[in-house]
Amino acid sequence: MSIAMKELIRRPGRFVSVGGALTMLVVLLVVLGGFLDGLELNSTGPYRAHEGRLLVFSDGSELLIQRSKVDAGQAEQLTSSDGVAAVGALNQIESTAGAGQGEIVDIVLFGYDLPTDAIPSPPVDGGVIVDEALADRNDVAVGDTLLIGAESEPVAVAGIVGDLSQGSPTVWLSTQRWREIVQSGNPAALPPEGTDQALVVEPSAGTEISDLAASLGGLDGIAVVTPDEAIKALPVVQQQSSTFEGIIGVTFVVTLLVVALFFTLITLERVHLYAVLKALGARTGNLMAGISAQAVGVSLVALILGLGLSLAFVGLLPADLPVRLVPARLLQTAVGVVMSALLGSLFTLRRVLHVDPAEAIG
Amino acid sequence: MPALQLDNVRKVYRTGDQQVVALNDVSLTVQNDEMMILVGPSGSGKTTLLTVAGALLRPTSGGVRVGGADITDLDDKRLAGFRREEVGFVFQSVNLVPFLTAKENLLVVRQFGGSRIDTQARKRADQLLDELGLGGRGSSLPSQLSGGEKQRVAIGRALMNDPSLVLVDEPTSALDSALGQQVMDLLRREIKGRGVSAIVVTHDDRVLDYGDRTVRIVDGALETGAQ
Repeated sequence: MSIAMKELIRRPGRFVSVGGALTMLVVLLVVLGGFLDGLELNSTGPYRAHEGRLLVFSDGSELLIQRSKVDAGQAEQLTSSDGVAAVGALNQIESTAGAGQGEIVDIVLFGYDLPTDAIPSPPVDGGVIVDEALADRNDVAVGDTLLIGAESEPVAVAGIVGDLSQGSPTVWLSTQRWREIVQSGNPAALPPEGTDQALVVEPSAGTEISDLAASLGGLDGIAVVTPDEAIKALPVVQQQSSTFEGIIGVTFVVTLLVVALFFTLITLERVHLYAVLKALGARTGNLMAGISAQAVGVSLVALILGLGLSLAFVGLLPADLPVRLVPARLLQTAVGVVMSALLGSLFTLRRVLHVDPAEAIG
Repeated sequence: MPALQLDNVRKVYRTGDQQVVALNDVSLTVQNDEMMILVGPSGSGKTTLLTVAGALLRPTSGGVRVGGADITDLDDKRLAGFRREEVGFVFQSVNLVPFLTAKENLLVVRQFGGSRIDTQARKRADQLLDELGLGGRGSSLPSQLSGGEKQRVAIGRALMNDPSLVLVDEPTSALDSALGQQVMDLLRREIKGRGVSAIVVTHDDRVLDYGDRTVRIVDGALETGAQ
C-alpha cells in the first residue's frame, strides 16, 4: 500500500472536511440527476412505449406530434416500403378523465393501432388501456368506467400498463374510438378523415431499425425518427435537460474546486515532508500519484456515503415527486465525481513541482 | 576510486542584487570507508556542502563525483534516482514520516522510482531494526518512539538502500550527552561495519573523536590541508 493511502487510513480525521463536503455534493448530484431523469421519464412515456419502432411526423412539424399531420397516401407509401411489417396511426389530445367519486384529472388521450412491448393491442370494444400513473393515483382498476373529455364519454378500463406519463397520465384507445371522442368533445382538434398526427412503423423481422430509418428518411414530406430522437426534440425535455445539466455541470466544477482547494492547502502543510521524500529519492510524479490517490480514495468513500444518503433522502420524498434514480445516471455521477476529484488534485502540481529537496536539510 | 570528490566547487546564492558565496572553490575527497567530520561556525557553508555532496543542489561551478559517477549536470529526475540508490541521509530533525511505523519508514525509500517492497526488502528492514536495537519497535509510530529511537530509525533508513555515501546532519543536536554518545557509537559501528563513507556535520565537539578525520569550513572555504 502506498504512503498516501496509509495516511488516508491512519489519519482519516485530516480528510473529514473534504470528505464531508464531497458527500454533500454527491447527494446534490444524485438528487439533481434523479429529478432530471424523473422529469424526463415523466414527460416521455408514450415515446418510450414505442422503443423498437419508428415514429413518422410531417416535415416542418419539428417532430412534435401536435404540429404534425401525415396523410393516408404517405402511410400507404410507408406500408409498401421494404422492411416495413406494419404502419399504424398515433394521435393524441390533452383531455380529462372522471374517475372515482366524481374526481376529474388531466390526462393525455392517445389513439393508436399497433401494439408494442409496453402497450397491448387497442381494445376492440371501445375500452381503454390506462397507465399506472392514473391507476395508482386515482385508484382505477380494470372494469372501472372513466368519463372522458368535456362530453364525459364513458369508457371501460380494459387494462393497465406501466407508467407512460407525458406530463399527465395517459389513456390509450383505438384510433376509431379516439376520433369519436374527439369529434364529440373537441371537433376542431380532430385531424381530417384520412389524416393522422403521426404514424408508427413496425419493422419486419430481421430489419435493423437504423437501416430502416435511413431508407424511409428519403420519402417526401415526412421525417422518420427513432423514439429517442423524438424525445430529444421535445422542447420540455430540451429545457429540462439544459437547465439541470447546467446545474449539474456547475456542481461538478464546485466538486473539482473543493478538492483542489483542500489538497492545495494540505500540500502547503506538507512542503517539508515532500522535501524529505524528494531528498530520499521521490520524484514529483511519485508525490502527485499519492495526492491523486488520496483524492480518488476520498471521492470513492464520499460516493458510497453520498449514495446511501441520497437513497434515504429520496425515500423520504412524496411519491408523486418525479425523482427516479437511474443506474446509468448514477454511474455517470460516480465517474464525474472521481474525475473531478482527480483533476482537482492536479491543481497541486505546480506547488509540488517547486518543492526543493534541499529544504529537507537546514 | 573515492566515494566523494568535489573539484573546485563554488555555490553562489543570489538574493536580489546581492550574491552570497556559500562554497568558495571547495575541493574535497572522501575515501571509501572513511568517516569524515565536518565542523564550522553557523553560516560557514557546512549545510550547503552537504546538499551539494548529496545531489540535492547543483553547484554553480565545479564538479561533483560520487562513487566515480559525475553528477554535476544530471537533471532533476536522474538526481532523484541517484539519491535513492547512492546516498543515505540522516537529517538533523530526523524527519521520519509521522504516519508510518518504524519499519515502514525504512521501507519508504523502496517505494519510489518503480521499486517494489518485496520479501527481501522486508527482511532487510527487520535485520536493520534488530541491529539498531529496535527489534521490537518495528510497528511503532514515530510518536511512540523516544528521541534516540527515532534517530536510530533515521540511521536505518539511510542505510536501507546500501548507499555508497551517507550524509549525517547534526546527529546529536537534539539528544542529551549519554544518548548522543550511544547514537554516535551506533552510527560509527554501522557505517564502518558496512564499509560505507560518511560525512557527519556537527557543532558538537564530543563527536569529533568518532571520525577518521575532521575538516573545518569557514566562510565557504575549507581550511588549508583539509582536502
